[in-house]
Amino acid sequence: MSRLESRGVPSGPIPACAGIGLRAIHHDAIVKDRPSVGWIEAHTENYFHEGGAAARALERARADYPLSLHGVGLGLGSVDGIDREHLARVKRAIARFEPVLVSEHACWGHAGGEFFNDLLPLPYTDEAVEFLAHQVGIAQDVLGTRLLIENVSAYVAFEHSRLHEWEFLAAVAAISGCGLLLDVNNVYVSSRNLGLDARAFIEGLPLDSVGEIHLAGHSCNGGVLIDDHGSHVCEEVWQLYACAIARFGALPTLIEWDTNVPALATLVAESNRADQVLGELRGLAA
Amino acid sequence: MASLRELQASFAAALRDESSACAVRPRENLSIYRNNAAINFRSALESGFPVLRRRVGDDYFRQLAAQYRQRNPSRSGDLHWVGRDFAAFLAEHLQGTEYAWLADLARLEWSRELAAVAMTRASIGAEVLARFTPEQLEDLVFSLQPSLRLHASDFPIFSIWAANQIDNAPPVDQSLMGECGLVRMRSDYVEVRRLDPFLFSYLSALAAGAPLGEAINTAGLDQDALVHALGFVFTEGLVCAVARARPAPH
Repeated sequence: MSRLESRGVPSGPIPACAGIGLRAIHHDAIVKDRPSVGWIEAHTENYFHEGGAAARALERARADYPLSLHGVGLGLGSVDGIDREHLARVKRAIARFEPVLVSEHACWGHAGGEFFNDLLPLPYTDEAVEFLAHQVGIAQDVLGTRLLIENVSAYVAFEHSRLHEWEFLAAVAAISGCGLLLDVNNVYVSSRNLGLDARAFIEGLPLDSVGEIHLAGHSCNGGVLIDDHGSHVCEEVWQLYACAIARFGALPTLIEWDTNVPALATLVAESNRADQVLGELRGLAA
Repeated sequence: MASLRELQASFAAALRDESSACAVRPRENLSIYRNNAAINFRSALESGFPVLRRRVGDDYFRQLAAQYRQRNPSRSGDLHWVGRDFAAFLAEHLQGTEYAWLADLARLEWSRELAAVAMTRASIGAEVLARFTPEQLEDLVFSLQPSLRLHASDFPIFSIWAANQIDNAPPVDQSLMGECGLVRMRSDYVEVRRLDPFLFSYLSALAAGAPLGEAINTAGLDQDALVHALGFVFTEGLVCAVARARPAPH
Protein backbone atom coordinates (compact mmCIF):
# COMPACT_ATOMS: atom_id res chain seq x y z
CA MET A 1 0.00 0.00 0.00
CA SER A 2 1.37 3.43 -0.91
CA ARG A 3 1.70 6.27 1.58
CA LEU A 4 -1.30 8.02 0.04
CA GLU A 5 -3.46 4.89 -0.08
CA SER A 6 -2.82 4.36 3.60
CA ARG A 7 -4.37 7.79 4.23
CA GLY A 8 -7.41 7.09 2.05
CA VAL A 9 -6.23 9.32 -0.81
CA PRO A 10 -7.47 8.50 -4.35
CA SER A 11 -4.98 6.09 -5.89
CA GLY A 12 -6.83 3.89 -8.37
CA PRO A 13 -6.70 4.43 -12.12
CA ILE A 14 -7.77 7.86 -13.31
CA PRO A 15 -11.48 7.66 -14.02
CA ALA A 16 -12.71 7.95 -17.61
CA CYS A 17 -14.06 11.42 -17.02
CA ALA A 18 -12.87 14.99 -17.36
CA GLY A 19 -10.07 16.53 -15.35
CA ILE A 20 -8.41 19.92 -15.32
CA GLY A 21 -4.84 21.14 -15.44
CA LEU A 22 -3.69 22.56 -12.12
CA ARG A 23 -2.24 26.03 -12.49
CA ALA A 24 -0.60 28.18 -9.84
CA ILE A 25 -3.34 30.81 -9.76
CA HIS A 26 -5.86 28.10 -8.81
CA HIS A 27 -3.80 26.48 -6.06
CA ASP A 28 -5.78 28.05 -3.23
CA ALA A 29 -9.19 27.81 -4.90
CA ILE A 30 -8.90 24.12 -5.73
CA VAL A 31 -8.05 23.22 -2.15
CA LYS A 32 -10.70 25.52 -0.68
CA ASP A 33 -13.57 24.97 -3.12
CA ARG A 34 -12.87 21.36 -4.14
CA PRO A 35 -14.55 21.75 -7.53
CA SER A 36 -16.37 18.77 -8.97
CA VAL A 37 -13.78 17.47 -11.44
CA GLY A 38 -12.69 13.88 -11.76
CA TRP A 39 -8.95 14.39 -11.50
CA ILE A 40 -6.14 16.91 -11.90
CA GLU A 41 -3.02 17.07 -13.99
CA ALA A 42 0.10 19.03 -13.05
CA HIS A 43 3.20 19.91 -15.07
CA THR A 44 5.89 17.84 -13.41
CA GLU A 45 8.59 20.51 -13.72
CA ASN A 46 6.53 22.99 -11.70
CA TYR A 47 6.76 20.71 -8.68
CA PHE A 48 10.42 19.71 -8.72
CA HIS A 49 11.40 21.69 -5.65
CA GLU A 50 11.41 20.26 -2.17
CA GLY A 51 9.89 23.33 -0.57
CA GLY A 52 7.67 26.20 -1.55
CA ALA A 53 4.03 27.03 -1.91
CA ALA A 54 3.50 25.14 -5.20
CA ALA A 55 4.64 21.77 -3.86
CA ARG A 56 2.59 22.22 -0.71
CA ALA A 57 -0.48 23.14 -2.76
CA LEU A 58 -0.10 20.05 -4.93
CA GLU A 59 0.23 17.86 -1.85
CA ARG A 60 -3.02 19.30 -0.50
CA ALA A 61 -4.84 18.95 -3.85
CA ARG A 62 -3.49 15.41 -4.21
CA ALA A 63 -5.34 14.46 -1.03
CA ASP A 64 -8.63 15.16 -2.83
CA TYR A 65 -8.03 14.16 -6.45
CA PRO A 66 -6.38 11.46 -8.52
CA LEU A 67 -3.27 13.02 -10.07
CA SER A 68 -1.59 12.84 -13.45
CA LEU A 69 1.97 14.23 -13.75
CA HIS A 70 2.64 15.63 -17.21
CA GLY A 71 6.25 16.38 -18.12
CA VAL A 72 7.24 19.04 -20.63
CA GLY A 73 11.02 19.11 -20.23
CA LEU A 74 12.60 15.73 -20.90
CA GLY A 75 12.79 16.08 -24.68
CA LEU A 76 12.93 12.30 -24.96
CA GLY A 77 13.68 12.32 -28.67
CA SER A 78 16.83 14.48 -28.34
CA VAL A 79 19.78 12.60 -29.84
CA ASP A 80 22.05 13.99 -27.14
CA GLY A 81 20.20 11.73 -24.72
CA ILE A 82 18.09 12.12 -21.64
CA ASP A 83 19.19 14.62 -19.01
CA ARG A 84 19.63 12.14 -16.17
CA GLU A 85 19.40 14.81 -13.50
CA HIS A 86 16.05 15.93 -14.89
CA LEU A 87 14.87 12.32 -15.04
CA ALA A 88 15.91 11.83 -11.41
CA ARG A 89 13.81 14.84 -10.45
CA VAL A 90 10.81 13.36 -12.24
CA LYS A 91 11.40 10.16 -10.30
CA ARG A 92 11.47 12.08 -7.01
CA ALA A 93 8.24 13.90 -7.96
CA ILE A 94 6.60 10.53 -8.68
CA ALA A 95 7.72 9.17 -5.31
CA ARG A 96 6.46 12.26 -3.54
CA PHE A 97 3.10 12.88 -5.23
CA GLU A 98 2.23 9.31 -6.26
CA PRO A 99 0.51 10.12 -9.57
CA VAL A 100 -1.66 7.49 -11.17
CA LEU A 101 -0.62 8.59 -14.66
CA VAL A 102 2.72 9.93 -15.88
CA SER A 103 3.16 11.38 -19.35
CA GLU A 104 5.65 13.11 -21.64
CA HIS A 105 5.86 14.11 -25.29
CA ALA A 106 6.96 12.62 -28.61
CA CYS A 107 9.44 15.41 -29.25
CA TRP A 108 12.97 16.59 -28.78
CA GLY A 109 14.14 19.72 -27.02
CA HIS A 110 17.91 20.06 -26.70
CA ALA A 111 21.00 19.84 -28.86
CA GLY A 112 24.64 20.72 -28.32
CA GLY A 113 24.00 21.48 -24.66
CA GLU A 114 21.35 24.10 -25.40
CA PHE A 115 17.77 23.53 -24.28
CA PHE A 116 15.10 25.25 -26.35
CA ASN A 117 12.39 24.66 -23.73
CA ASP A 118 9.87 23.81 -26.40
CA LEU A 119 8.29 20.66 -27.81
CA LEU A 120 10.20 20.34 -31.09
CA PRO A 121 8.90 18.01 -33.80
CA LEU A 122 10.70 14.82 -34.81
CA PRO A 123 11.18 13.53 -38.34
CA TYR A 124 8.92 10.51 -38.79
CA THR A 125 11.53 8.01 -39.89
CA ASP A 126 12.38 4.45 -38.87
CA GLU A 127 15.54 5.72 -37.17
CA ALA A 128 13.51 8.17 -35.09
CA VAL A 129 11.02 5.43 -34.15
CA GLU A 130 13.84 3.21 -32.89
CA PHE A 131 15.55 6.06 -31.09
CA LEU A 132 12.48 7.47 -29.35
CA ALA A 133 11.25 3.99 -28.39
CA HIS A 134 14.67 3.28 -26.85
CA GLN A 135 14.65 6.55 -24.89
CA VAL A 136 11.08 5.99 -23.70
CA GLY A 137 12.18 2.53 -22.57
CA ILE A 138 15.07 4.02 -20.57
CA ALA A 139 12.76 6.57 -18.96
CA GLN A 140 10.18 3.93 -18.08
CA ASP A 141 12.87 1.71 -16.55
CA VAL A 142 14.29 4.53 -14.44
CA LEU A 143 10.90 5.88 -13.40
CA GLY A 144 9.48 2.43 -12.76
CA THR A 145 6.23 3.27 -14.50
CA ARG A 146 4.63 3.08 -17.92
CA LEU A 147 4.53 6.42 -19.69
CA LEU A 148 1.88 7.91 -21.91
CA ILE A 149 3.51 9.72 -24.82
CA GLU A 150 1.71 12.70 -26.36
CA ASN A 151 1.57 13.83 -29.98
CA VAL A 152 2.78 17.45 -30.27
CA SER A 153 1.48 20.38 -32.28
CA ALA A 154 3.59 21.00 -35.35
CA TYR A 155 4.23 24.11 -37.40
CA VAL A 156 6.67 22.42 -39.78
CA ALA A 157 7.26 18.89 -41.08
CA PHE A 158 10.63 17.38 -41.91
CA GLU A 159 11.05 16.65 -45.60
CA HIS A 160 12.76 13.41 -44.55
CA SER A 161 9.63 12.01 -42.86
CA ARG A 162 8.60 8.68 -44.37
CA LEU A 163 5.81 7.72 -41.97
CA HIS A 164 2.52 9.26 -40.99
CA GLU A 165 2.64 10.66 -37.46
CA TRP A 166 0.14 8.07 -36.26
CA GLU A 167 2.25 5.27 -37.73
CA PHE A 168 5.27 6.73 -35.97
CA LEU A 169 3.46 6.90 -32.61
CA ALA A 170 1.97 3.44 -32.96
CA ALA A 171 5.42 1.98 -33.68
CA VAL A 172 7.00 3.77 -30.69
CA ALA A 173 4.23 2.43 -28.45
CA ALA A 174 4.57 -1.10 -29.83
CA ILE A 175 8.35 -1.20 -29.31
CA SER A 176 8.60 0.59 -25.96
CA GLY A 177 5.36 -0.63 -24.39
CA CYS A 178 4.30 2.94 -23.62
CA GLY A 179 0.76 4.16 -24.03
CA LEU A 180 -0.29 7.24 -25.99
CA LEU A 181 -1.76 10.51 -24.84
CA LEU A 182 -3.91 11.76 -27.69
CA ASP A 183 -4.00 15.55 -27.76
CA VAL A 184 -6.94 16.23 -30.04
CA ASN A 185 -6.20 19.94 -30.28
CA ASN A 186 -2.64 19.13 -31.36
CA VAL A 187 -3.98 16.81 -34.06
CA TYR A 188 -6.23 19.61 -35.29
CA VAL A 189 -3.50 22.29 -35.15
CA SER A 190 -0.93 20.12 -36.96
CA SER A 191 -3.41 18.98 -39.59
CA ARG A 192 -4.45 22.54 -40.38
CA ASN A 193 -0.87 23.84 -40.42
CA LEU A 194 0.52 21.02 -42.54
CA GLY A 195 -2.46 20.16 -44.71
CA LEU A 196 -3.06 16.74 -43.15
CA ASP A 197 -6.21 14.76 -42.43
CA ALA A 198 -7.08 14.96 -38.71
CA ARG A 199 -9.67 12.18 -38.88
CA ALA A 200 -7.21 9.87 -40.60
CA PHE A 201 -4.85 10.46 -37.67
CA ILE A 202 -7.48 9.33 -35.19
CA GLU A 203 -8.55 6.42 -37.36
CA GLY A 204 -4.92 5.39 -37.77
CA LEU A 205 -3.96 4.98 -34.10
CA PRO A 206 -4.22 1.45 -32.71
CA LEU A 207 -7.42 0.91 -30.71
CA ASP A 208 -5.80 -0.12 -27.46
CA SER A 209 -2.96 2.40 -27.42
CA VAL A 210 -4.59 5.56 -26.07
CA GLY A 211 -4.78 6.08 -22.29
CA GLU A 212 -5.66 9.76 -22.01
CA ILE A 213 -6.96 12.63 -24.11
CA HIS A 214 -6.03 16.31 -23.99
CA LEU A 215 -8.28 19.14 -25.13
CA ALA A 216 -7.18 22.77 -25.34
CA GLY A 217 -7.68 26.00 -27.21
CA HIS A 218 -5.44 27.52 -29.86
CA SER A 219 -5.08 30.86 -31.58
CA CYS A 220 -4.56 31.86 -35.20
CA ASN A 221 -1.68 34.08 -36.28
CA GLY A 222 -1.37 34.94 -39.95
CA GLY A 223 -3.15 31.77 -40.99
CA VAL A 224 -1.00 29.53 -38.76
CA LEU A 225 -2.72 27.88 -35.79
CA ILE A 226 -0.72 28.33 -32.60
CA ASP A 227 -1.15 25.80 -29.80
CA ASP A 228 -1.22 28.34 -26.97
CA HIS A 229 -3.69 26.68 -24.56
CA GLY A 230 -5.15 30.13 -24.02
CA SER A 231 -8.84 29.87 -24.89
CA HIS A 232 -11.90 27.62 -25.09
CA VAL A 233 -11.73 24.36 -27.02
CA CYS A 234 -13.04 25.16 -30.51
CA GLU A 235 -16.04 23.43 -32.08
CA GLU A 236 -13.95 21.54 -34.64
CA VAL A 237 -11.85 20.06 -31.84
CA TRP A 238 -14.99 19.06 -29.90
CA GLN A 239 -16.17 17.24 -33.01
CA LEU A 240 -12.84 15.48 -33.41
CA TYR A 241 -13.00 14.59 -29.72
CA ALA A 242 -16.37 12.93 -30.25
CA CYS A 243 -14.80 10.92 -33.11
CA ALA A 244 -11.90 9.95 -30.87
CA ILE A 245 -13.96 8.63 -27.98
CA ALA A 246 -16.33 6.91 -30.41
CA ARG A 247 -13.24 5.02 -31.62
CA PHE A 248 -11.26 4.55 -28.38
CA GLY A 249 -14.09 4.53 -25.86
CA ALA A 250 -14.48 6.77 -22.81
CA LEU A 251 -11.04 7.97 -21.64
CA PRO A 252 -9.72 10.35 -19.00
CA THR A 253 -9.95 13.73 -20.72
CA LEU A 254 -8.02 16.80 -19.65
CA ILE A 255 -8.89 20.43 -20.23
CA GLU A 256 -5.57 22.27 -20.60
CA TRP A 257 -5.58 26.03 -20.17
CA ASP A 258 -2.11 27.42 -19.54
CA THR A 259 -2.10 31.00 -20.83
CA ASN A 260 -4.72 33.69 -20.19
CA VAL A 261 -5.81 31.28 -17.47
CA PRO A 262 -9.48 31.94 -16.64
CA ALA A 263 -11.34 31.64 -13.36
CA LEU A 264 -11.50 28.11 -12.02
CA ALA A 265 -15.25 28.05 -12.66
CA THR A 266 -14.64 28.54 -16.41
CA LEU A 267 -12.21 25.66 -16.46
CA VAL A 268 -14.65 23.46 -14.57
CA ALA A 269 -17.45 24.40 -17.00
CA GLU A 270 -15.23 23.38 -19.91
CA SER A 271 -14.55 20.05 -18.23
CA ASN A 272 -18.30 19.62 -17.70
CA ARG A 273 -18.74 19.81 -21.46
CA ALA A 274 -16.20 17.01 -21.93
CA ASP A 275 -18.10 14.99 -19.33
CA GLN A 276 -21.29 15.66 -21.26
CA VAL A 277 -19.74 14.28 -24.47
CA LEU A 278 -18.51 11.25 -22.55
CA GLY A 279 -22.00 10.83 -21.05
CA GLU A 280 -23.59 10.93 -24.51
CA LEU A 281 -21.18 8.20 -25.63
CA ARG A 282 -22.15 6.07 -22.64
CA GLY A 283 -25.82 6.72 -23.41
CA LEU A 284 -25.32 5.47 -26.96
CA ALA A 285 -23.50 2.41 -25.69
CA ALA A 286 -26.21 1.58 -23.13
CA MET B 1 19.32 10.22 -46.06
CA ALA B 2 20.28 12.56 -43.25
CA SER B 3 20.56 11.01 -39.79
CA LEU B 4 18.37 12.02 -36.86
CA ARG B 5 21.43 13.71 -35.34
CA GLU B 6 22.04 15.72 -38.51
CA LEU B 7 18.38 16.72 -38.74
CA GLN B 8 18.25 17.92 -35.15
CA ALA B 9 21.56 19.75 -35.55
CA SER B 10 20.27 21.57 -38.63
CA PHE B 11 16.99 22.41 -36.87
CA ALA B 12 18.88 23.73 -33.83
CA ALA B 13 21.18 25.77 -36.08
CA ALA B 14 18.12 27.25 -37.82
CA LEU B 15 16.67 28.22 -34.45
CA ARG B 16 19.88 30.07 -33.63
CA ASP B 17 20.37 31.59 -37.08
CA GLU B 18 17.48 32.07 -39.48
CA SER B 19 19.77 31.91 -42.52
CA SER B 20 20.88 28.39 -41.63
CA ALA B 21 19.53 25.60 -43.88
CA CYS B 22 16.93 23.18 -42.54
CA ALA B 23 14.91 20.65 -44.54
CA VAL B 24 11.43 21.41 -43.23
CA ARG B 25 8.28 22.81 -44.75
CA PRO B 26 6.90 25.42 -44.55
CA ARG B 27 10.29 26.86 -43.78
CA GLU B 28 8.94 30.24 -42.70
CA ASN B 29 7.17 28.57 -39.78
CA LEU B 30 10.54 27.88 -38.16
CA SER B 31 10.21 31.43 -36.86
CA ILE B 32 7.42 30.17 -34.55
CA TYR B 33 9.84 27.81 -32.83
CA ARG B 34 12.53 30.50 -32.82
CA ASN B 35 10.15 32.93 -31.14
CA ASN B 36 8.85 30.32 -28.71
CA ALA B 37 12.35 29.57 -27.47
CA ALA B 38 13.12 33.27 -27.01
CA ILE B 39 9.77 34.07 -25.38
CA ASN B 40 9.86 31.09 -23.02
CA PHE B 41 13.35 32.06 -21.92
CA ARG B 42 12.43 35.71 -21.45
CA SER B 43 9.18 34.93 -19.64
CA ALA B 44 11.07 32.80 -17.13
CA LEU B 45 13.50 35.66 -16.54
CA GLU B 46 10.63 38.13 -16.19
CA SER B 47 8.95 36.06 -13.55
CA GLY B 48 12.23 35.68 -11.64
CA PHE B 49 13.31 39.31 -11.80
CA PRO B 50 10.13 41.41 -11.57
CA VAL B 51 11.69 44.33 -9.70
CA LEU B 52 14.64 44.56 -12.05
CA ARG B 53 12.24 44.55 -15.00
CA ARG B 54 10.12 47.25 -13.41
CA ARG B 55 13.19 49.36 -12.75
CA VAL B 56 14.69 49.16 -16.27
CA GLY B 57 11.45 48.97 -18.28
CA ASP B 58 10.21 46.30 -20.70
CA ASP B 59 12.29 47.34 -23.70
CA TYR B 60 15.66 47.35 -21.95
CA PHE B 61 14.78 44.14 -20.09
CA ARG B 62 14.11 42.46 -23.45
CA GLN B 63 17.50 43.62 -24.71
CA LEU B 64 19.22 42.32 -21.59
CA ALA B 65 17.36 39.00 -21.79
CA ALA B 66 18.35 38.52 -25.45
CA GLN B 67 22.00 39.35 -24.79
CA TYR B 68 22.04 37.11 -21.73
CA ARG B 69 20.50 34.20 -23.67
CA GLN B 70 23.13 34.64 -26.38
CA ARG B 71 25.84 34.18 -23.76
CA ASN B 72 24.03 31.82 -21.39
CA PRO B 73 21.50 29.69 -23.27
CA SER B 74 19.17 27.48 -21.26
CA ARG B 75 20.98 24.41 -19.95
CA SER B 76 17.97 22.62 -18.52
CA GLY B 77 14.56 21.36 -19.50
CA ASP B 78 13.35 23.08 -16.33
CA LEU B 79 13.00 26.80 -17.08
CA HIS B 80 13.29 27.69 -13.43
CA TRP B 81 17.08 27.67 -13.75
CA VAL B 82 17.53 30.14 -16.60
CA GLY B 83 18.06 33.02 -14.18
CA ARG B 84 20.92 31.36 -12.34
CA ASP B 85 23.71 33.31 -14.08
CA PHE B 86 21.79 36.51 -14.80
CA ALA B 87 23.35 38.51 -11.96
CA ALA B 88 26.88 37.47 -12.98
CA PHE B 89 26.09 38.41 -16.57
CA LEU B 90 24.80 41.82 -15.50
CA ALA B 91 27.84 42.40 -13.30
CA GLU B 92 30.13 41.91 -16.28
CA HIS B 93 27.85 43.61 -18.80
CA LEU B 94 27.29 46.72 -16.68
CA GLN B 95 30.71 46.95 -15.05
CA GLY B 96 31.87 50.54 -14.74
CA THR B 97 28.52 52.00 -15.74
CA GLU B 98 26.07 53.85 -13.55
CA TYR B 99 23.84 50.76 -13.68
CA ALA B 100 26.25 48.38 -11.95
CA TRP B 101 23.80 48.20 -9.02
CA LEU B 102 21.38 46.23 -11.21
CA ALA B 103 23.60 43.16 -10.78
CA ASP B 104 23.16 43.31 -7.00
CA LEU B 105 19.42 43.77 -7.42
CA ALA B 106 19.42 40.66 -9.65
CA ARG B 107 21.36 38.72 -6.99
CA LEU B 108 18.75 39.67 -4.42
CA GLU B 109 15.90 38.61 -6.69
CA TRP B 110 17.56 35.31 -7.55
CA SER B 111 17.97 34.62 -3.84
CA ARG B 112 14.29 35.30 -3.51
CA GLU B 113 13.59 32.71 -6.22
CA LEU B 114 15.73 30.12 -4.45
CA ALA B 115 14.27 30.88 -1.02
CA ALA B 116 10.74 30.49 -2.38
CA VAL B 117 11.35 26.83 -3.23
CA ALA B 118 13.74 25.89 -0.42
CA MET B 119 12.75 23.35 2.14
CA THR B 120 11.50 24.77 5.44
CA ARG B 121 12.65 22.90 8.53
CA ALA B 122 11.10 23.03 12.00
CA SER B 123 12.74 25.75 14.06
CA ILE B 124 13.78 25.45 17.70
CA GLY B 125 13.59 27.97 20.53
CA ALA B 126 16.28 29.52 22.70
CA GLU B 127 15.46 27.06 25.50
CA VAL B 128 17.75 24.61 23.71
CA LEU B 129 20.68 26.63 25.09
CA ALA B 130 19.81 25.44 28.60
CA ARG B 131 21.13 22.01 27.62
CA PHE B 132 24.65 23.38 27.55
CA THR B 133 26.92 24.77 30.24
CA PRO B 134 27.88 28.47 29.99
CA GLU B 135 31.41 27.36 29.01
CA GLN B 136 30.07 25.32 26.10
CA LEU B 137 27.98 28.12 24.59
CA GLU B 138 30.78 29.72 22.61
CA ASP B 139 31.52 26.41 20.89
CA LEU B 140 27.97 25.94 19.61
CA VAL B 141 27.34 25.85 15.88
CA PHE B 142 23.88 26.59 14.53
CA SER B 143 22.05 24.98 11.62
CA LEU B 144 19.97 27.74 10.08
CA GLN B 145 16.91 27.57 7.84
CA PRO B 146 17.84 26.23 4.37
CA SER B 147 16.00 29.12 2.72
CA LEU B 148 18.20 31.78 4.41
CA ARG B 149 20.26 33.88 2.01
CA LEU B 150 22.40 36.83 3.10
CA HIS B 151 23.30 39.81 0.94
CA ALA B 152 25.62 42.77 1.29
CA SER B 153 25.84 45.43 -1.41
CA ASP B 154 27.69 48.70 -1.94
CA PHE B 155 24.32 50.05 -3.07
CA PRO B 156 21.06 50.66 -1.15
CA ILE B 157 19.74 47.46 -2.67
CA PHE B 158 17.15 46.58 -0.04
CA SER B 159 15.68 50.09 -0.22
CA ILE B 160 15.56 49.85 -4.02
CA TRP B 161 13.83 46.46 -3.85
CA ALA B 162 11.28 47.71 -1.30
CA ALA B 163 10.55 50.95 -3.16
CA ASN B 164 9.94 49.16 -6.44
CA GLN B 165 7.15 46.88 -5.34
CA ILE B 166 4.90 49.27 -7.24
CA ASP B 167 5.09 50.53 -10.81
CA ASN B 168 6.63 53.93 -11.52
CA ALA B 169 8.27 54.25 -8.11
CA PRO B 170 10.55 57.27 -7.77
CA PRO B 171 14.26 56.38 -8.06
CA VAL B 172 16.10 55.63 -4.83
CA ASP B 173 18.97 58.01 -4.06
CA GLN B 174 22.03 56.03 -5.19
CA SER B 175 24.29 58.10 -2.98
CA LEU B 176 22.83 56.36 0.05
CA MET B 177 25.08 53.94 1.89
CA GLY B 178 25.36 50.31 0.93
CA GLU B 179 22.97 47.91 2.61
CA CYS B 180 22.91 44.36 3.82
CA GLY B 181 20.13 42.01 4.81
CA LEU B 182 18.50 38.64 4.49
CA VAL B 183 16.10 36.74 2.29
CA ARG B 184 14.22 33.79 3.73
CA MET B 185 11.01 31.83 3.35
CA ARG B 186 8.32 32.60 5.89
CA SER B 187 5.31 30.31 6.20
CA ASP B 188 3.61 31.71 3.11
CA TYR B 189 5.82 34.42 1.66
CA VAL B 190 9.46 35.27 1.04
CA GLU B 191 10.80 37.87 3.41
CA VAL B 192 13.34 40.42 2.17
CA ARG B 193 14.70 42.35 5.11
CA ARG B 194 17.44 44.88 5.67
CA LEU B 195 19.64 44.17 8.69
CA ASP B 196 21.90 46.15 10.95
CA PRO B 197 25.52 45.54 9.74
CA PHE B 198 26.55 44.02 13.09
CA LEU B 199 23.64 41.61 13.04
CA PHE B 200 24.39 40.81 9.40
CA SER B 201 28.03 40.08 10.19
CA TYR B 202 27.09 37.81 13.10
CA LEU B 203 24.45 35.99 11.06
CA SER B 204 26.86 35.57 8.12
CA ALA B 205 29.45 33.99 10.43
CA LEU B 206 26.88 31.61 11.90
CA ALA B 207 25.60 30.70 8.44
CA ALA B 208 29.18 29.97 7.36
CA GLY B 209 29.43 27.46 10.22
CA ALA B 210 31.44 29.53 12.68
CA PRO B 211 30.90 28.68 16.37
CA LEU B 212 28.87 31.18 18.36
CA GLY B 213 31.88 32.70 20.13
CA GLU B 214 33.67 33.31 16.86
CA ALA B 215 30.54 34.79 15.28
CA ILE B 216 30.21 37.21 18.20
CA ASN B 217 33.85 38.27 17.90
CA THR B 218 33.64 38.62 14.14
CA ALA B 219 30.66 40.93 14.47
CA GLY B 220 32.23 42.85 17.36
CA LEU B 221 29.03 42.66 19.40
CA ASP B 222 28.85 44.33 22.80
CA GLN B 223 26.75 42.83 25.59
CA ASP B 224 23.46 44.47 24.57
CA ALA B 225 23.95 43.69 20.89
CA LEU B 226 24.84 40.12 21.79
CA VAL B 227 21.59 39.61 23.69
CA HIS B 228 19.67 41.09 20.77
CA ALA B 229 21.54 39.02 18.15
CA LEU B 230 21.18 35.78 20.06
CA GLY B 231 17.50 36.39 20.60
CA PHE B 232 17.03 37.38 16.95
CA VAL B 233 18.01 34.06 15.44
CA PHE B 234 15.66 32.17 17.75
CA THR B 235 12.65 34.49 17.75
CA GLU B 236 12.83 34.73 13.97
CA GLY B 237 12.68 30.95 13.72
CA LEU B 238 16.03 30.79 11.93
CA VAL B 239 17.62 28.04 14.05
CA CYS B 240 16.87 24.43 13.13
CA ALA B 241 19.51 22.68 15.24
CA VAL B 242 22.33 23.46 17.65
CA ALA B 243 25.36 21.29 18.28
CA ARG B 244 28.81 21.62 19.83
CA ALA B 245 31.57 22.23 17.31
CA ARG B 246 33.98 19.35 17.02
CA PRO B 247 36.96 20.14 19.28
CA ALA B 248 40.03 21.20 17.35
CA PRO B 249 42.70 18.46 17.22
CA HIS B 250 45.69 19.03 19.49
